Amino acid sequence: MSASELTVERLLRAHAPHAPERLRERVLALEPAPQRRNMPSRRLLLVALPAALAIAVGAAVVHGIVGSGPRPVASVTVEQSLSAPAQGRTDLRKLPFQPSVGAGHIAAAPSVGTASRLQHTDASLQVRVGDVDALAAATTRATRIVTALGGYAQSVDYRTPQNGGGASYLELRVPAQNVKVAIARLGGLGTLVSQELSVTDLQRTFQTQSEQIAQLRRRVAAFQAALRDSSLPEGQKVILQIRLAESKRALAQRLNARKGTISAGTTAQISLVIGTEKAIAPVVHHRGRLGRMLHSAVGFLALEGMILLYALIVISPLAIVAAAIWAWRRRSVERLLAA
Amino acid sequence: MTIGGSRAVSNDVNAALTSVDAAPLVGGRPAFAEIAASQLDAVYRYLVYLTGDRAAAEDLTAETFEKAFRTWRRFDPRRGSPRTWLCRIARSVAVDWFRAETRRRRREEKYARDVPLTEEFGDGLPGPLEEALRELSPAEREVVALRVLLELDGPSAARVLGISQTACSTRLSRALRRLEERMNDVRE
Repeated sequence: MSASELTVERLLRAHAPHAPERLRERVLALEPAPQRRNMPSRRLLLVALPAALAIAVGAAVVHGIVGSGPRPVASVTVEQSLSAPAQGRTDLRKLPFQPSVGAGHIAAAPSVGTASRLQHTDASLQVRVGDVDALAAATTRATRIVTALGGYAQSVDYRTPQNGGGASYLELRVPAQNVKVAIARLGGLGTLVSQELSVTDLQRTFQTQSEQIAQLRRRVAAFQAALRDSSLPEGQKVILQIRLAESKRALAQRLNARKGTISAGTTAQISLVIGTEKAIAPVVHHRGRLGRMLHSAVGFLALEGMILLYALIVISPLAIVAAAIWAWRRRSVERLLAA
Repeated sequence: MTIGGSRAVSNDVNAALTSVDAAPLVGGRPAFAEIAASQLDAVYRYLVYLTGDRAAAEDLTAETFEKAFRTWRRFDPRRGSPRTWLCRIARSVAVDWFRAETRRRRREEKYARDVPLTEEFGDGLPGPLEEALRELSPAEREVVALRVLLELDGPSAARVLGISQTACSTRLSRALRRLEERMNDVRE
């Protein structure tokens, strides 16, 4: 540091301005604001952050405990779905029930539908067998069962890959009156893994189609009677002939549709999957109560994390804007004082 | 004493700084009245140098202490000395004043403020030094005030200015060099 620089500093210090007496009086006359016991923001953060974390973990643990209660069903869950009997497939409910264990035990399918109404039954079964030999035998037995009940196998897809496992996929048709027996017998081919049953009421469709057919028949008869009248002008005759042809075509379509409805109502469709243990894994819950609790708690924590992440994503643009404003203000102060 | 980033502060100045900056403690916290009495001159000098206007500095000093009164409960002695804390408040108040001044100048289109012939920066300060100080920018004057007049150490001054210690030292060196050059010109 040069001597002159030192002189400058000494001069500046020696001649430093002093606050005027009026300013001193003005400042010292000020009354301090009443003290409030407010927690400093940094300390508040140190308390609030662990508290929020503890609440989040606590909520997850409580959720885990509540969600890990004893299950009402056994280790294997069998699902059945049931459609509304009156208005088609509008109401789907899942009913857990006890599975069959072994070939001799037949699962109790729910009693649905009434014999007096036209209903279509659609069933889906998954059965597990021990090995590939048992798979072949069960597939053969399945086709025999449906044949014996007056039905048939629409398609059979038998697959045994080289890894030792295998499965066969059968699309079966059985008379509607024998569907319950067929499901019971097919379920007994091995260990029933899952079973779904839906019943669609076709009675209203059938009645509507029958009414339309009757109406069309009456119309056809009326047109034919009118055409037999020899006094009918040629122009009107042509128009009537066209209408008669249209009515006949519509009648044929309605008849065909009703035939399909009757066929669907009298024949049930069963999709059967027979597989070895490697191919079909039953829905087994190995977790104990503690495991379920942990699983549930971890899931809940993950959900909280997702919510937090979402909040961060929403907040981050605002934080960026705030940071930009802060930087701009700071820069403007620098420019202001450098001028 | 030497001023700047790497300059050492001599023992006598250290002692002076401690006596000036230290404030009596009441239950581990300095009493505000004592702080106000001991730091008034320091804040006033800082604002005089920053604004270059004694009348404005007077008002801004009062405003600074009023603001300090209101926020006194937020002051944490562990985070800095009372002088540093007050200088930060003073700077914030002065920045608002500078903004208002800039707007006023724009509004009036022409800044017709006559350069006062009276002493602004010091009592009995030599004329050339007074003029040299006037030629410095407010940013340069404030670093001179903080480091030379108020004898704040490098980190504290940098914290008040919101810049790094290196930038603070550079700014101070440049300001002192300009003052020195101006003084030499006058001598010659």
